[in-house]
Amino acid sequence: MKTRIEAITRSVVITTLLVLSLFALSAQAATPDPTGLNADALMRKASNIMVTGDLAGAIIIYLQIPAPGPEGDQGQFASSRMQAARLEFAMKNYSAALTVVDELLAVYPHNIEALQFQDSVKEAMMPQWKRLMQDTIKFVPHLLKGSLMTLLLVFFTIIISPIGGLLIALGRIGKFKPVSRLCWFIIWLFRGTPLLLQLFFIYYGLPAIGITLSPIPAALIGLSLNYSAYLAEIIRSGILSIDYGQREAAEAIGMSDWQAMRRIIIPQTYRVILPPVGNEFIALIKDTALVSTIAMVELMRTADQLFNASFNITVLGLAAVIYLLFTTVFTFAFEMLEARVGAYEKR
Amino acid sequence: MQKLLELKDIVKSFGTHRAVDNISLSMHPGEKTVIIGPSGSGKSTLLRAINFLETIDSGSIFFEGHDVGYRQFKGKQVLDKPKIICKLRTQIGMVFQHFNLFPHMTVVENAMEGQVTVLKTTKATAHDVAMSMLEKVGMSEFADRYPSSLSGGQKQRVGIARALSMKPKLMLFDEPTSALDPELVGEVFATIKQLADEGMTMIIVTHNMGFAREVADQVVFMEDGSFLAKGTPNDFFGTQCQDPRIQSFIDRIF
Repeated sequence: MKTRIEAITRSVVITTLLVLSLFALSAQAATPDPTGLNADALMRKASNIMVTGDLAGAIIIYLQIPAPGPEGDQGQFASSRMQAARLEFAMKNYSAALTVVDELLAVYPHNIEALQFQDSVKEAMMPQWKRLMQDTIKFVPHLLKGSLMTLLLVFFTIIISPIGGLLIALGRIGKFKPVSRLCWFIIWLFRGTPLLLQLFFIYYGLPAIGITLSPIPAALIGLSLNYSAYLAEIIRSGILSIDYGQREAAEAIGMSDWQAMRRIIIPQTYRVILPPVGNEFIALIKDTALVSTIAMVELMRTADQLFNASFNITVLGLAAVIYLLFTTVFTFAFEMLEARVGAYEKR
Repeated sequence: MQKLLELKDIVKSFGTHRAVDNISLSMHPGEKTVIIGPSGSGKSTLLRAINFLETIDSGSIFFEGHDVGYRQFKGKQVLDKPKIICKLRTQIGMVFQHFNLFPHMTVVENAMEGQVTVLKTTKATAHDVAMSMLEKVGMSEFADRYPSSLSGGQKQRVGIARALSMKPKLMLFDEPTSALDPELVGEVFATIKQLADEGMTMIIVTHNMGFAREVADQVVFMEDGSFLAKGTPNDFFGTQCQDPRIQSFIDRIF
């Protein structure tokens, strides 16, 4: 009898201890968890719901995972909120996603993942035009850097080609036959072949005979030769348009050929040649785009590269705007110049 | 007295056409020669040959006693070096039928240009000379105007001032009033007359008989490249112009 009672007492004690210990164990998890499930279980449950496609249901479960209490993080809070926020984002509930991320950031203000996610949500929330603007702001510095090279090419070609053009024109008008024929040949050659071909020849062809040029000199030589040839014909026609009496009057006061040219004839050609020269220079601004084919990184090449990296058509529009800006400035500059050099001739 | 200009056997052909055919002419300082004759008679060609604007085929030009402007090259007579020609031209002023003012320069700049560019005088001196010459032709108040704003007569007077600014020893006038409206002819002739009275040596090609009679020491009638008559105005208008060819020309003009 005594042993029986002992046994019962022992089992009761053990059971009590077991129950108590179980209680104690479960109490630890259950206190902050009203559903009676622990965080790991909730995470599993949520992901199981998520794979069925019920994203909203999964979010509800994720959000049940409590914030870290005084005992510290359960290790699942941050990832549950990120998951919930991603699901909200996937359903395009951008503001809900932000609310979830904010909850996470309130506990962990420096969570990198959360901060980056917040940025991309905000970006996604932006209206189309605003996003375009932001892209634009990103592209502009690159494009401006590219246009600097374009301007450089235009600048030097504008300095070199009128000088080249004048020399060719004078040589062609001159009485010395070999020079005259040579100048005719230069004009014939460079006016008669595509600029693109000339650039290829200079950059890819000349190395074959031992002359290797880097892109900038090659581009400058190509553009200058081509535009000298065009300007030569414009200048020549300008010189021929001046009344022969002007030349005789200059000679009659004792001027040499060159003095007559420099002081009397050429200054009078400005009025005649300025409109076609302006035309050529505007064509030049656009023709610089061709040098992008010989490894020059200028405006066109930059725009092309940015477009290939982003597939954002805005960048090409922007390049067009910059080209238009340049050509517009030239148009107005030449209109002002024309008004000035023609001032002596009343109409 | 030494002759200022002497032309000896000047010949100039254009293709097979003899524009100037064996012409000789001499002038003392201060003398005025008027050349008249129908269009295409070679008057202008002769005048331009004196200034080397035309290269003659043969003959010689003596200026102040020197045979000038041409040299022998491989047995042919060719124009002298440009430098020498330019120097000669500074001493011979030329006034053109169509004025040929420099349209991109003001009136005073037109008269300064040769001095500054060719004679290398300073701008200040050139300006003073130019202004005094413009004063002489009555155009000083137009100094800063552009030629396009002037009348034909005013342009021609500026043309004269431009030539005078080089202080030439000889002035050549190539039909100076032919391009002018009739009412503007007077002011230009008055200017030339004044210049003549001051003792300038000049050769004037013109159709204006009245003017020839008034200023000329020597009148020359030219046809087909040669002188048909040459003499004092009295000789010319008295007896020489009885020649039927001259008579018919005079009839056509009046």
